[in-house]
Amino acid sequence: MNALIHRFRPLGVLLVLVLLLIAPTVGLLDGYWSRTVMLIAILSLLVSGLNVVLGYAGELAMGQVALYAVGAYVAGYLGVEFGLTNVLVALLAAMLAAVVVGLITGIPGLRLGGWSLAMVTFFLVTLVPNLVDVFSDVTGGTLGMATAVPTLFGMEIVGDRLYWLVILVVIAWFTVARNLLLSRHGNMFLVLRQSPILASVLGVSVYRLKLLVYVVGAIPAALAGALFSMLDGFIAPDTFTFALALSVLAASVVGGATSVYGAIAGAAVMQLGQQTFTQFQTWQLVIYGAFLLIAGIAFNRGLVGLFQDGLAAARRRGWLPARPATAAIPPGGDGPVETRLEPLDGVVLRTEGLSKSFGGNRALDDVTVEAHPGEVTALIGPNGSGKTTLLNLICGLYKPSGGRLLLGDQQIGGQPTYRIARHGVARTFQTPLIPKDMTTLAFVATGRYMNHKVGILPAILRLPTFRRGYTADDERAMALLRLVGIADVAGKQVDSLALGTRRLVEVARSLASGARVFLFDEVGSGLDESDLAVLERAIGMIREAGGTVILVEHNFPLVLKLADRIHVLSQGRLLASGTPAEIQADRRVLAEYTGATDLPEEPDDAHTPATPKGAN
Amino acid sequence: MTTVWAGLATGAIYSLIAIGYNIVLLASGTFNFAHAQLLMVGTFLAYTGAVTFGLPVLPTVLLAAAGVAVIALVEERVAIRPLLGRTDSHGTLITTVGAATILDGLAAAIWGRQPLTVPPVLPDEPLTLLGGTVRPVDLALIGFTLVVGVGLHLWSRHTLTGLASLASAEDRDAASARGINVRLLGVGAFAVAGAVAGVFGLLVGARTYAVFDLGHSLALFGFVAIAIGGSGSQLGGLIGGFATGLVYAFAARYIGAAYPQIVVFGVFLLILFLRPRGLFGAALERRV
Repeated sequence: MNALIHRFRPLGVLLVLVLLLIAPTVGLLDGYWSRTVMLIAILSLLVSGLNVVLGYAGELAMGQVALYAVGAYVAGYLGVEFGLTNVLVALLAAMLAAVVVGLITGIPGLRLGGWSLAMVTFFLVTLVPNLVDVFSDVTGGTLGMATAVPTLFGMEIVGDRLYWLVILVVIAWFTVARNLLLSRHGNMFLVLRQSPILASVLGVSVYRLKLLVYVVGAIPAALAGALFSMLDGFIAPDTFTFALALSVLAASVVGGATSVYGAIAGAAVMQLGQQTFTQFQTWQLVIYGAFLLIAGIAFNRGLVGLFQDGLAAARRRGWLPARPATAAIPPGGDGPVETRLEPLDGVVLRTEGLSKSFGGNRALDDVTVEAHPGEVTALIGPNGSGKTTLLNLICGLYKPSGGRLLLGDQQIGGQPTYRIARHGVARTFQTPLIPKDMTTLAFVATGRYMNHKVGILPAILRLPTFRRGYTADDERAMALLRLVGIADVAGKQVDSLALGTRRLVEVARSLASGARVFLFDEVGSGLDESDLAVLERAIGMIREAGGTVILVEHNFPLVLKLADRIHVLSQGRLLASGTPAEIQADRRVLAEYTGATDLPEEPDDAHTPATPKGAN
Repeated sequence: MTTVWAGLATGAIYSLIAIGYNIVLLASGTFNFAHAQLLMVGTFLAYTGAVTFGLPVLPTVLLAAAGVAVIALVEERVAIRPLLGRTDSHGTLITTVGAATILDGLAAAIWGRQPLTVPPVLPDEPLTLLGGTVRPVDLALIGFTLVVGVGLHLWSRHTLTGLASLASAEDRDAASARGINVRLLGVGAFAVAGAVAGVFGLLVGARTYAVFDLGHSLALFGFVAIAIGGSGSQLGGLIGGFATGLVYAFAARYIGAAYPQIVVFGVFLLILFLRPRGLFGAALERRV
């Protein structure tokens, strides 16, 4: 029964869509309602664009209405001025123009992001009437512009034909959006929303990722504009108002900003509300505002979130059949636990006189260390001694003030983070960086985004390469989760995990990239005994597989157990280097750690230095 | 010179918005998009006091100040406080834009959509000053804005409360651990910002009319002032506002009526590219 329902789901969706398409022809929708459906469809395109940019990628680019205007005027102008009334040409031209405008207005976002981007894009929306006025030769100014009748292969696209066009374009867009957002690319948008630093550590150029987001977000807005110009046959600047921008934003949060189909729900609520309640005009702004406020505070996953919660509750109580288990856990979920990794292509990482100053503060001064493949190199030292600074320099989050950074024979110091990551440097964070709205399995698989890339086109078209790539990603991620002993959380939301589990997830993520050098930043702190044992085993396996491991750790017993070589930092300088035994015997190190100045000749072997933290 | 006076008077309004943003930003680290709407409500309350009730100047100003301060407190309670401690970056954007939109809508529903004329408090005969003409009420607007802006700047740098507010904008938890009542400071900032916006309702209304959709364009120009002055710098915001006003006035005078907004937008982009921390930047940005 269960399987039956799920097998026929696609068929059901198809049936609904066909019904929607033929509804006006068979008399299910009269003129008023078919227009309403078209208006909802057009608004849902605008909202969907905002969802991509704001809901998924977390970029505050609110210029949808400006791009909508661009789409409308470009399509209108081509028809009126050049007689290019072919709808395909109009849609394509509108898309191209909006992509260009979206890129240009997105440029501030590349450097600034946040509020500045929000203000630039809001500003752009308020400028639409001015720009229409300035270019009144082309746009018809404040009086507006009557558009030509759209055509396709000699047919006039009006009435039912226009209805079909609108619905088909919307179906096409939402198919593209679904396939893109529910893929690793969409996952990478979510990573960007959480932390651009995390995205760059995964080897993604934040710059290019943001441009991609702006382009993808601009396309539906432009399509909506072109369709609107065909629907109304008239374009005037008073369509493209700040209030419309607010209603798009409200529809987005009402439907659920981080969802694909929430856009349709939100658009329907807004459009129907506006048409149904005669009082709406008076209270329009108050209603939009209230939606924003309530959605922002209380149910920030929108109607889609409520629907999913309701569905989950119904399933728990057995009112609905349960989801098939295969949906969550990929094949091979119960296989034997691996005990060794495939060989890793480890490489020597070497710093030569590496320095970093912040203003006058020399955080790292002339540090030369070397880490070899198949070895664990530990960096220890008190707080503020420069350990994390050194890691940040190695992975490119800081630019060195002096000295060289060599990966094998290659100088990589000063390169941007994502390039260094692509050379095969993976890292974890002192405070794990964990995105929202993603399963643990999907997050671990993002580690493979760069090195096992599946292009955007295969993802959108769901080509066989896409399926093969994703099956491989999921299998590998699952195997790694089993390796670090947390396969049971694979299907859980990764941001619901406890700190200790998050650290293990980060280790699995860094392994997924097939890196050559692993930077582990205080990976042991906050772990309990059993998690620590798993971690030790995992690091041991990386060493055996030939990976280069650099470990920053406060837990001195753990370091002694794991490290082949230890470098001690103090106040930004290298204090000592050596094997664990040498370091244990080093009086300066002991002095640094215990604060003692006068020590016995033979330090007794039972010592556990008073480490500042983490020595559980 | 008349253009300069016009620019300074318009600029004073932008400065006021920037000052209001900064008061809240400095004390609680949140950006209150709805501040321009508070000023808009201030102009309506000034109209209600001066025209509907026929009150003299001082009670009108007090009424507007108290009224807007109360609205600001309600906004803080409804739109800001529920989100404190949440990590998502655009939470307060959504809720403060929501609050701003509600205020727009309520103003339209209560006072209507037609602009209302707020009477000038001073004799409405243009003065000739430094070779240009200026209305006395605009001169008062410029003067009081300067006084408030400079006063707040000195206050934030030289008093214990001001420094505490800087500290809590920098790091709420650390400031709280030092014994600063972060919550009170945040609430107080909203009250002060609201009161300042209310006090100026009469003067601003005399220049702009009281109109329900005054807010969002002022919000954007106020943000341009912040971009020029650097976020968190009261003095910078003050100067940034006047600079924006001058650019606007000169563009309107010498390029054409359709252009001033476009020119200001251009300046805005230029500043963001060349000096993303503003010309007087004391930016509060930091890497995670």
